Amino acid sequence: MRQSHARLIWVSLISAGFLAGLGAWIYQLTQGLIVSNMRNPVMWGLYITFFMFFVGLSAGGLIVASAGRLFGGHRLKPIVRLAVVEATVAVMLAALFLVPDLGRPDRLWHLFRYPHWTSPLMWDIAIVIIYLIISLLYVWVYTRADHAQLGSRLAFGTGTSEADSRRDERMKAVLAGVGLPAAVLLHSITAWIFGLQLSRGFWYTAIMAPLFISSALVSGTGLMILLSLVARRVKKITFSDELLGFLGKLLVTFIVVEAFLVFSDMLTAAYPGAEFEAGPMARLLSGRYAPFFWFEIGAGLLIPFVILVGGRRRFRPPWAAAAAALAVVGIWVHRFNLVLNGLSYATITEPPGVAIGTAPAPGTTSFALTQFYYPSWVEWIVALGLLCLGALLFTAAVVKLPLKEKASQHA
Amino acid sequence: MPDKVSPIEALPAASRAFGELRAVSAEPRWAMVVDLERCIGCWSCCVICKSENNVPLGMWWNRINTVGAALDTPREEHGGLAMHWMPLACQHCENPACTKVCPVKATYSREDGLVVQDDERCIGCRYCLVACPYGVRVFNWGRPEYPVPFPMGMVEPRPVGTMEKCTFCIHRLSEGQVPSCIWSCPAQARVFGDLNHPDSEVNRLIRERAAFQLLEERGTDPQVFYLPPRRKRGWER
Repeated sequence: MRQSHARLIWVSLISAGFLAGLGAWIYQLTQGLIVSNMRNPVMWGLYITFFMFFVGLSAGGLIVASAGRLFGGHRLKPIVRLAVVEATVAVMLAALFLVPDLGRPDRLWHLFRYPHWTSPLMWDIAIVIIYLIISLLYVWVYTRADHAQLGSRLAFGTGTSEADSRRDERMKAVLAGVGLPAAVLLHSITAWIFGLQLSRGFWYTAIMAPLFISSALVSGTGLMILLSLVARRVKKITFSDELLGFLGKLLVTFIVVEAFLVFSDMLTAAYPGAEFEAGPMARLLSGRYAPFFWFEIGAGLLIPFVILVGGRRRFRPPWAAAAAALAVVGIWVHRFNLVLNGLSYATITEPPGVAIGTAPAPGTTSFALTQFYYPSWVEWIVALGLLCLGALLFTAAVVKLPLKEKASQHA
Repeated sequence: MPDKVSPIEALPAASRAFGELRAVSAEPRWAMVVDLERCIGCWSCCVICKSENNVPLGMWWNRINTVGAALDTPREEHGGLAMHWMPLACQHCENPACTKVCPVKATYSREDGLVVQDDERCIGCRYCLVACPYGVRVFNWGRPEYPVPFPMGMVEPRPVGTMEKCTFCIHRLSEGQVPSCIWSCPAQARVFGDLNHPDSEVNRLIRERAAFQLLEERGTDPQVFYLPPRRKRGWER
């Protein structure tokens, strides 16, 4: 069979990637975070960027599932199961990306033994766990009837009677009501990890939470378009190009909101001309991070907007896929910009700056006002490994779970 | 908190008397005063801090910033030249940004105002480093390296993957001695004492010399106070 052949190659590839990442992480454990390119001047990097990014991606799923239900978007039904699986895998990956960022992952249990509730990081861990539970429940409720029909143990003893399916519908309604606020909270809290820090002028803004929600919607919807097209290609689900056009319309709406919030944020920071906020802003517009910023605006927002805004292009799979991919990558770059530009601007601008934190080569200084951060190969491979783990989880879910909606179930 | 190995009782009596804490109340609130008029930017306090506290290569708990844009270079001011230094270590804030964000309470304020770090509890997330507006915390990115093949100093080394910072020489305070950066300053630019004692030297200097706190507008309320230089002009052009 051609398809099972292709699947074997795909699974081998991502397994190899996962093992490489695991190896790189073990290497990092033996050496410490010195093998990353993070140092005291820029203390967070690729791992935190991916953490934010996956928190955002998990939005797509639950928002498609919940909003569709709450506001009557029944058109989305064919992809709802795929969406909730995507949300579950994404939020798992977000949590996993925090682990390699820790200097002492062996003390991870301290988070549960000594939780300190004034820390936004602690709020985030709580909401990630709640969100994961909601997502798992979602997946179960949407696939339960099929498990029951197949006599699978995953049905947990529930049946296929009329009463069972009525209970499903009730649970779906409750989950939609809980899931949407949970998704909004998840993004807001993740935003507040950054937005509540008075020391970082670029982050300290009340727009951070709305901005995180909008970028989550852009990247989440973008990924849903891509995954739906792939799942349709491998015949796991079926849907019409009309639905594709509807998703494209959602995406273009979210892109416009994102662009508006980014502009509003930047204008507010730049206008007073005070160094504390305008310094990082000026560097984003024309400094060494400028190419990243202009990529975010041009390739991540402008081009997808042009593709999707009018005509019939958003109904055509290649165009929709291209726009969605650009939007997803654009939001990743947006996250990267946000982390780096918030951190790399010295809070005390007098020389010599802060201690870098590692023994300097003879004849070089151990201080720096700032640092041009780019991830080290260890960071890239660890990140690749976790991406492959996500792909493995997602592939397993797509293969094992009944994702196709049966027409008879929606009378 | 680093364990003490410091043999202060072995110091000669004259040395002990020189570093003794004076005018201490029953419930002290520790504070430091740094006189910017006196500081000569010699880095003695930074160097002794490293050896006292066993601070590895590439890490500093204490540093000397030059006021202006370039290191150890005069700046132009109102048509003349001026040159001042700004010694900078943990500000031991009343309202610290770092303790609030720690997810496991590995850094916290003590009753006496000290902001301390528990390196046995720290999980190494570096959120405190993000939150601190002063850039005075340092992370153990790798295994500590020293200029000699063994750790040296009066406190135990900290484990890899944890955060560390100035402790106001907590191991010396418990012996009734000032932090090492105080007694070692050749210009006597630093004064240490108890804010709760009305006659303490720190209170007198803060009152008389219009002391300011660094980044006062951020509301962190540091317990390190800077005395502005009274002579504004240093050199003729």
